[in-house]
Amino acid sequence: MPAIEVAQRVREALNAVKGTDLRDPRLVEVLNLSEQLVEAMQMFFGSLDKDVYGEFRYIATYIARTRQEIAALRPNDIRETRLPSAGAELEAIVKHTEEATNTIMAAAEAMMMADPTDAAFADLVNEKVLEIFQACSFQDITGQRVQKIVETLRHIEGRVERFASVMGVEDQALEETDSERRKRELLLNGPALAGPEVAQDQIDALFGGDGGNKDKVDQSDIDALFA
Amino acid sequence: MAVDMGMKILVVDDYATMVRIIRNLLTQLGFKEIDEANDGTAALEKMRLHKYGLVISDWNMEPMTGYELLQRVRSDDGMKATPFIMVTAESKTENVIAAKKAGVNNYIVKPFNAQTLKAKIAAVLGDF
Repeated sequence: MPAIEVAQRVREALNAVKGTDLRDPRLVEVLNLSEQLVEAMQMFFGSLDKDVYGEFRYIATYIARTRQEIAALRPNDIRETRLPSAGAELEAIVKHTEEATNTIMAAAEAMMMADPTDAAFADLVNEKVLEIFQACSFQDITGQRVQKIVETLRHIEGRVERFASVMGVEDQALEETDSERRKRELLLNGPALAGPEVAQDQIDALFGGDGGNKDKVDQSDIDALFA
Repeated sequence: MAVDMGMKILVVDDYATMVRIIRNLLTQLGFKEIDEANDGTAALEKMRLHKYGLVISDWNMEPMTGYELLQRVRSDDGMKATPFIMVTAESKTENVIAAKKAGVNNYIVKPFNAQTLKAKIAAVLGDF
């Protein structure tokens, strides 16, 4: 029962007692004091109930808005359709790239192993060169597949960005996983996006050029890499 | 000093195509004994059984990386003198410096060409 209702009932009970024929003036005084106390309590609990109601209403609104924003993210669509589709495209890229590479390598190896003095050498080279050209057509299909994956990533990025912005989400510090720690410790950075971060000639300088072979790295070698 | 073209060379890479490319390039350069391993652990096992005149290793492999392989080789009395060339897409300055400090003899950034491979082998073993 809400506190304000309890106070109301106590007040009614007091009024009922006051309505009876009370002969002792001290009892009347106690009843008056009780009535004042109930009024004070009623005011206090009334304001308290309003505050709690307001808080709950705010939380309910926030939850409803959060649910709407999560629904706008379309997490089921991302999980069930978009990510599996992007994964399948990636697998197809790996497969086609591997097939094309094997075809190209096999053709090149056949030419490498062939005897140039053989009468059929020219025909063999022509045939293998054509095979290489045909195999290179994988790049066109791969490019289209990559484009579809990029679109999926942009779709997810856009929705997550909007969600974070609307909800006022700030990134928390992440705990490093075992895999991340291993990558950091063993300097597993992977290929740089725009080609090698340190060019081969800078590395050569570190190793004393093609003709030399320095045993130790000194500060000038390191400085040369950062120049 | 003339390079022994009959020496055994160990190519370490988890990507079969890259092993095939390096093997073909080495064959074109005239080397005859080329062995292969697909990660650092397999390479170490082979190095315990055979003596190699040169190791050409990738960096990024599982479970044992080329960097770990280099460290293990350099700390093993029986293998520490084996020439070691890193061939990798890891091109950050910190990678090059770490490999150099660990005792790598030369460092090639992927993608590379036949001339670069030949030049680096020559820098480590002498002209051939």
